[in-house]
Amino acid sequence: MSATTYGWLVLAFPLAGTVVISLLYNRLPGRTAGWIGTGAIAASFLSALGALFMLLDHGREERQLVGTLYDYADTVGVDAQLSILIDPLSVLMALVVTGVSALIHLYSVAYLASDRGYSRFFAYLNFFVFSMLVLVLAGNFLLLIVGWAFVGAASYLLISFWYRRATATSAGIKAFVINVIGDVGLVLGTYFIFKHTGTLDFLGTFEKVPDEFATNDGDLVAGCILLLVGACAKSAQVPLHTWLPDAMEGPTTVSALIHAATMVTAGVYLIARMHPLFEQAPVAADVGAVIGCVTLILAATIAMAVTDLKRVIAYSTMSQIGYMVMGVSAGAYAAGLFHLMTHAFFKALLFMAAGSLIGAMAGTQSLDRMGGFRRAMPFTFGCFVVGGLALAGVPPFSGFFSKDEILLLVGDRGGWHWILYAVGYAGSLLTAIYTFRMIFRAFLGDPVPEARELEQGHVHHAGTPTNPMTGEEEDTDVGFPGPEHHIAERSLPMKVAMGALAVGAVVGGVVQIPHVTEVLHDFLEPTFSESELYEAHPSGGLTAFGLALGAVVALAGIAIAHRVWVQRPGTADRVRARLSGLHRVLVNRWYFDEAYDAAIVRPAAAVGRFAQQTFERLFVERTLMGGATGIVRAGSSAVRAAQNGFLRYYAALLLLGLAALAFYFLLAAT
Amino acid sequence: MGLSILIWLPVVSALIAAVFPRELTPRVALGGALGTLALAIGYVASFERGAPGLQFLTDETWIAELGIHYKLGLDGLNLFLVLLTALLFAGAFAWANRREWERPKLFFFQFALAETAVLGAFLAQDLALFVAFFDLMLIPFYFLIGAWGGPGRVAATTKLVIYTLVGSLLMLAGAVATGVIAARGEGSVTFVLSELQLVQLPEGSQNWIFLCFAAAFLVKMPVFPLHGWMPDGYRAMPLPVLAVFSAVLSKVAAYGFLRIVLPLFPEASVHFQDLMLVLALLSILYGSVMAFTQTDARLILGYSSVAQLGFIVLGIFALNAQGAQGALLQMVNHGLVVAPAFFIVAVLAERAGGSEDIRDMGGIALRAPLLAAMFLIVALANLAMPGSANFVGEFLILLGVFDAKLVFAIVAFGGVVLASVYTLRAFIRTMHNRTGERVESRELALAEALVIVPLVGAIVALSLYPQLPLARSEDSVRASVRTAAAIAEPPPAAPSTPGGPAAPGQPVPPQGAPPAQGGAP
Amino acid sequence: MTLPLAAARAPHIDWAGLSPLVALLGGAVVVLLVGLLRPALVRERVVPALSAVSLGAALGLSIWQWDERKSIVSGALAVDDLAMVLNAIFLVAGLATVLLSLRSPAAPGAGHGEYYALLLSAVAGMAILVGAQNTVTLFLGLELLSISLYVLCATEMRRATSLESGLKYLIIGSVGSATLLYGLALLYGATGSTDFAAMARALDGPGDLVTDPLTLTGIGLVVTGLAFKASVAPFHQWTPDVYEGAPTPITAFMAVATKAAAFGVMLRLLDVALIDAASDWGPALAALAAVTIVVGNVGALTQTSLKRMLAWSGVAQAGYLLAGVVVATRLGVQATVFYLGVYLAMNLAAFAVIIARERETDRGDDISALAGIGATRPWLAWPMTIAMLSLAGIPATAGFIGKFYLIDAAVDGGYTWLGIVIVLGSMISLGYYLRVLAAMWLSDAPAVAPGTPPGPEARPVMAGGSPEADEPSTQPELAAVAIAFGAASLFFGIVPSPFFDLARDAGQAMGLL
Repeated sequence: MSATTYGWLVLAFPLAGTVVISLLYNRLPGRTAGWIGTGAIAASFLSALGALFMLLDHGREERQLVGTLYDYADTVGVDAQLSILIDPLSVLMALVVTGVSALIHLYSVAYLASDRGYSRFFAYLNFFVFSMLVLVLAGNFLLLIVGWAFVGAASYLLISFWYRRATATSAGIKAFVINVIGDVGLVLGTYFIFKHTGTLDFLGTFEKVPDEFATNDGDLVAGCILLLVGACAKSAQVPLHTWLPDAMEGPTTVSALIHAATMVTAGVYLIARMHPLFEQAPVAADVGAVIGCVTLILAATIAMAVTDLKRVIAYSTMSQIGYMVMGVSAGAYAAGLFHLMTHAFFKALLFMAAGSLIGAMAGTQSLDRMGGFRRAMPFTFGCFVVGGLALAGVPPFSGFFSKDEILLLVGDRGGWHWILYAVGYAGSLLTAIYTFRMIFRAFLGDPVPEARELEQGHVHHAGTPTNPMTGEEEDTDVGFPGPEHHIAERSLPMKVAMGALAVGAVVGGVVQIPHVTEVLHDFLEPTFSESELYEAHPSGGLTAFGLALGAVVALAGIAIAHRVWVQRPGTADRVRARLSGLHRVLVNRWYFDEAYDAAIVRPAAAVGRFAQQTFERLFVERTLMGGATGIVRAGSSAVRAAQNGFLRYYAALLLLGLAALAFYFLLAAT
Repeated sequence: MGLSILIWLPVVSALIAAVFPRELTPRVALGGALGTLALAIGYVASFERGAPGLQFLTDETWIAELGIHYKLGLDGLNLFLVLLTALLFAGAFAWANRREWERPKLFFFQFALAETAVLGAFLAQDLALFVAFFDLMLIPFYFLIGAWGGPGRVAATTKLVIYTLVGSLLMLAGAVATGVIAARGEGSVTFVLSELQLVQLPEGSQNWIFLCFAAAFLVKMPVFPLHGWMPDGYRAMPLPVLAVFSAVLSKVAAYGFLRIVLPLFPEASVHFQDLMLVLALLSILYGSVMAFTQTDARLILGYSSVAQLGFIVLGIFALNAQGAQGALLQMVNHGLVVAPAFFIVAVLAERAGGSEDIRDMGGIALRAPLLAAMFLIVALANLAMPGSANFVGEFLILLGVFDAKLVFAIVAFGGVVLASVYTLRAFIRTMHNRTGERVESRELALAEALVIVPLVGAIVALSLYPQLPLARSEDSVRASVRTAAAIAEPPPAAPSTPGGPAAPGQPVPPQGAPPAQGGAP
Repeated sequence: MTLPLAAARAPHIDWAGLSPLVALLGGAVVVLLVGLLRPALVRERVVPALSAVSLGAALGLSIWQWDERKSIVSGALAVDDLAMVLNAIFLVAGLATVLLSLRSPAAPGAGHGEYYALLLSAVAGMAILVGAQNTVTLFLGLELLSISLYVLCATEMRRATSLESGLKYLIIGSVGSATLLYGLALLYGATGSTDFAAMARALDGPGDLVTDPLTLTGIGLVVTGLAFKASVAPFHQWTPDVYEGAPTPITAFMAVATKAAAFGVMLRLLDVALIDAASDWGPALAALAAVTIVVGNVGALTQTSLKRMLAWSGVAQAGYLLAGVVVATRLGVQATVFYLGVYLAMNLAAFAVIIARERETDRGDDISALAGIGATRPWLAWPMTIAMLSLAGIPATAGFIGKFYLIDAAVDGGYTWLGIVIVLGSMISLGYYLRVLAAMWLSDAPAVAPGTPPGPEARPVMAGGSPEADEPSTQPELAAVAIAFGAASLFFGIVPSPFFDLARDAGQAMGLL
């Protein structure tokens, strides 16, 4: 079979999974739905491998294959086909997506076992994977947008999976709307580019770009910036990031899959995919780099302050994606994608560990309530630490190599990119600190009651399940993880999944060690063949310095965290007291939500109320209709007044009319 | 001949149905509607793609003295609108079969008469005939609403009929004037569209006639600020009637622009382009804003339709092939979406203790996964989710506007975002969140599913293969906008496309006028 | 003895051409005499039968005279298609009126003989009027028809309103006639001729008679007089009162026939005799038409008495018809004649239904009398529905084609704005036509007849629930008339060609292009 055929198979399995599960939703006994879903994704992963091998059979030059099914909308100059593009980039993405997804599915099989919406969950989850694969395999802009929006919809469905929680549904709609804004940016950007190239096909566009656009051509820059809007919305970059923390309303596995490993990295993929455009419009690329940089530091600072376990990880995700966006925008494509891959491993791992921890806490997510779980859940602890080390960028864990290569290449650009370079390292210091803040607060210190209960060998159960955000009592029909809680220690599937990811998190880095193994770089080369930034090879000295600095910063961060939260427990409160202003800003996440609420949401609502209560009634009803009918009514009453039944009046009017007529004729005569 | 059967079959079968005992009447009438649907499908199947001009032509002289012909024909413009009409009326008849109506014979006669009139308006290829069918459409609805409607029915129906006939009668005057003025010079009056197209009216008369037609069409759609009849009308209509009214009648109006206004009054169309685009934008924004402040499910859909039709007008008055093509596709899409949406509203109301206020709903999804799935698909299609045919339509519309008037396109995108807000709001407030106190969640009953599922199936099918209608309508659409586009896009703009793929397909305007901006400039 | 008689050559009389008139007047005399006979049977059955026979005969003879183009009685009367078409309209209206009057209280009130004789003479007057070739004949016909109608209006002697309406009609009518007469006199003075053709020649001829104040004043007065007969605003005000007061069959007859006659003579006088002054009277009449359309429609809006409503709508329709006269083209003539025919059908259908309900309910001609008959009396409701839709000019009814034709003529004659006014009028008219439909179909208990506050006589009925329970069944002849003309309004809306042929013939009868 050809690579493209495998590509179609990659898409087919998850879709089939969705359809089968949703058709048989109420006939599937026990955990069957979960296993079907997992199987579908696993099969999809194997197909991706098949595509990989088929691709490697081709020579380097013809490693960009397009497979077309049929004309989707081929009319009036628009040439949208149902076509996929199989090239190293898309295959890499497909592998990461399917691989991580398969493991998360596996984890979910156990984790959601007691949820009322079990099969619904897997239908959604499979649909998400399908959408994500459409996104990464799309061969033209239209299909890309389709995948782009599908993942948005899937994420909406999964965020408000427990749809009886008002918090969940509002978080869902928020995520969806912001994603639609992203879609709009994407579509508009497409228009700007299509206007010149006249084709929606990726390869066709990329061919035309050099001759259609001068460097920094106005339309092109506009187009790329609009594409960036799409990327920001999807990848939770400033200023369109506010949906991601709320998205943690979804089940933890959803956070792991969508809001850490796969969907949120779409923006990175997009920029990498569109690199010919961005390289032709350096201004836009620089904007992207700055956005990434701002996001990474901003998110890191917030992650220092929030106490909700999942939200800390969410902000760390934002921050890490900030690195990737900065990287790919600055031309560090391979590095960015490399970090995307390793991040997928360790961030998914962290979320899974967190999930297990939250299970032990019977749904509670606040760090303030946690502590001392080390002995109670050693396996979870181990995984969390591994993930944490990778995230903090401690050698030789995967995160170390990927993050540092990004910063290395950014710094190598020289000029004002040095600022980004510096900020990047500052960010990684914060990263190390907040990561281990989590670990120390959750696992060290004296055990909390739940931990004790677990040590006695019994998972804690809350008397009446409540919504961790609002504390309102759960509706036990839906909107509630289910009566029992699951922890890694107790269920094999979760263990397996986490174990596999842990391995990935540890050794994932070896594929791309500067000057040693450049597997990924070489593999991706065909996609970026015509990019001049791609071949940048920083000097050995800078490389060595970077690696060393990275290691030092990471360890320093861990040391600080250890000092603050383990050696001198009170320190954190003292610092908070001293920097109370800053702290308030941070816990309020730099007041982004409040700003949007004041600037957009409330005005819009006000306009709506005005339109409905005032305008409609006064203008549309009274003025337009009332006016017209009023005139007629007035005329009618006037006529009736004249029609008073008295002959003399009639005669008078008759004569008047006659007089008028005669007068007219006399005028006409003269 | 053939098309006449298509048109008259509904009303004839309704008359036959009236002969049957009253409990059979609905069934027989439904049979008629289904027969019509089968015929329509047959025509779509046997429609010769790419063949120029009208197909399945019927051309009899109706009133020789006035040069009025009974001329019917199918082409890319009306092919799928006819299918849509037949499909939705069949659905509505089936829905109407679910309950008892008093005076069923009269009800189904009027209903069928409505279908006949709509089909006639779509198929008419003679201006006077079109006007006749267009005005005729209203009468059955007057009775349907007035006799079988909800609260305030008589007031609502009177308001609706007068409001909309105001436009229609102006159109009548405009139509007569078109025929007469066109006949000046070479004698005999004719109202046959194909012949009228050959004559260019002086721009002065074009302008006022354009306004007459625009009045008729914009009121019928309705477009802001001419939607005054809509809220009362929508509240009062019996649901199956409302479904087709909202889904089909508005399309007749939009179709009128493409079939009559653009080809016959190109100068005027260009002259008023900005005005129409502004109205369209206002409709989009106003409709959206209203839609997310309403709590009456019917009105949410009503105002969302105002917004959607704003998009359609926007596309039409981009005055280029993409815009028009998108508008045409969007007409079909909106029809396909809004009809099942109204049926779903009915279903929801039945589960929320009869209330159609979304504040009384909530949590209905629980025991109704099928219903939830159907509603979800409809909702996503309604907000033009990429992957739905609605998105393709909107994509083309906005692309057209983008090429013609950038600013309008950018503002219009605001409407796209708002659409997602009010649609999801409606979905969540009804299906999700805590259960309303009078709500009892039930799965779709078979009878309900038999109507809703096929319609949703149609949405999905069209989303998977929008090329089906697009390929068949392209030539007609190009022909419809050709002249106007040629005027709208003066020659200097034309070059700079050495080889955009759109270039080959460029419409070739008559008498060597410069090529219109069909595709990407 | 015989020689001198032979020598004194009696004027040649074209009996054939005269035959319809003879039939009518002869019929009138016979009916009058027969009416004197005692037996009730004779008076109540034979008299109407005889009048029907004479009308039928006249109709037959008119059809026999079809396609003749001659002037008889030494050029006093024209026998041409215009005359014949209009005759046909009068005669059909007359026949319908006979049917409608069968059981009306009016006939016995006045004595059957007199009643029907007057009806026949009125028809004869109309026939003369539209045939007239000179001003004298014109006035003769006018008076013959008017005087008969004055009396007919008052025939329901027991009803004060009937007498009142007769008196009003008499007084105002005389004013109108006087005006007309004066105008004719002035015209004679100006052109020195009473003969239409001669007048036309004179106006066409040397010396700018067209701008001569004398001529123009004359035209002004004549127009006024005719406008009065055709109830054109502002000379319309007698119409609602008289229509309401008169016995409904007579109202129906007046609504249809009088209007046709008035417009027939307008066509003759304006579009033949005074055609060369068209540039003068055209704008004036156009203005009158516009005013009439507006006044008539807004006047009808809030009426609850169906007869008054139809009176006002008749005023409005007169405005539409006037548009056809104004343009002074053959197309205009044809449109006018066509619309007159349509107008006959839809009005007679409506009046038949009103009469039927008058006799079935105690609510007279109040709109509430129609409440709910859609369910209880479909055979009345449908004709009424069609009539109303047709009057409103809804497609698939003759009214639509008629209006279309009129607008066509107006635009073609350069009076586009008048065409717009016509459609504006139609918009307003929906306001009241739809109320009738609503009453019939959309309301069951009389009390809820929309727009009409339940009249005192309606209240007990609603209290008693179904009002139809104790109602007498519809009188067959009324239903027949209603259905026949309702069907006609529908049929000619779909297959209008026959009417078009008539209109074309009538149009060709006149020298216009």
